Amino acid sequence: MWHNQAILSEAKFALQGSLKELERLAAEVEQFCAANRLDGEAAFQLNLALEELFVNAVRHGGCEGIADAAQIRLIAEAGGVQVQFRDRGRAFDPTEAPAAGLLTPLAEREAGGLGIHLVREIMREIEYRREDGWNVLRMRRIAPAAVGQTEEFKS
Amino acid sequence: MIETKDETRSGWLVVHVRGRADAESADTLEDALKGALGKSTKVVADCAKLDYISSAGLRAVIQAARAAESLNVEFAVCSLNGNVKKVFDMSGLHHILKIHGESPC
Repeated sequence: MWHNQAILSEAKFALQGSLKELERLAAEVEQFCAANRLDGEAAFQLNLALEELFVNAVRHGGCEGIADAAQIRLIAEAGGVQVQFRDRGRAFDPTEAPAAGLLTPLAEREAGGLGIHLVREIMREIEYRREDGWNVLRMRRIAPAAVGQTEEFKS
Repeated sequence: MIETKDETRSGWLVVHVRGRADAESADTLEDALKGALGKSTKVVADCAKLDYISSAGLRAVIQAARAAESLNVEFAVCSLNGNVKKVFDMSGLHHILKIHGESPC
């Protein structure tokens, strides 16, 4: 149906390389979700996945203190949200990184694998590219109610 | 931004946690939970007013749970809202931590 292809709305913003930006990240995601009538669960999970990626870039990717360290783009689509996350940190492909398994002992959960595990739980179709000094991730969050329609959503 | 408030109730020290447990506030949460361990042999983190948690916040809870274990203090988490509970579930922490639907006291 024609309205399934329609791009409803888009948000684009950049974050400085500081954890103080987490507050703004949350506010931007809230605003985007409210504007697109996405529910609280969508806002929560988008915020969570983006926080994990951003915090990794700041803490482990060398983005601390860098201006315009990360750029985020959100696009509302029928059944979900398309997400693009770019950061200037050192090359890191979260699709290749080992993630903490569900029963990983407590002691081994501290290495940061838990954050990547959560990103993979929330996001689908995660694609990574290294592009002109940027880590570029494209992915989707599919609304739980739309999971059964995934094939249609992809096309 | 996170706020905590201690309350003693039927033998438990209840730490009411309010706000967002993200990478910026996780240390505050960890300190508050660990601080409570020295005050009682039974500590529960009441998360009814916890709006958000990320892996950094989970790590704070895990660290408190580990510290409790070594101090022989009973430690539990209760009253998680739906979205926060999902993060605990996705992380597999429900296998490791004592999580109560309602406050145990």
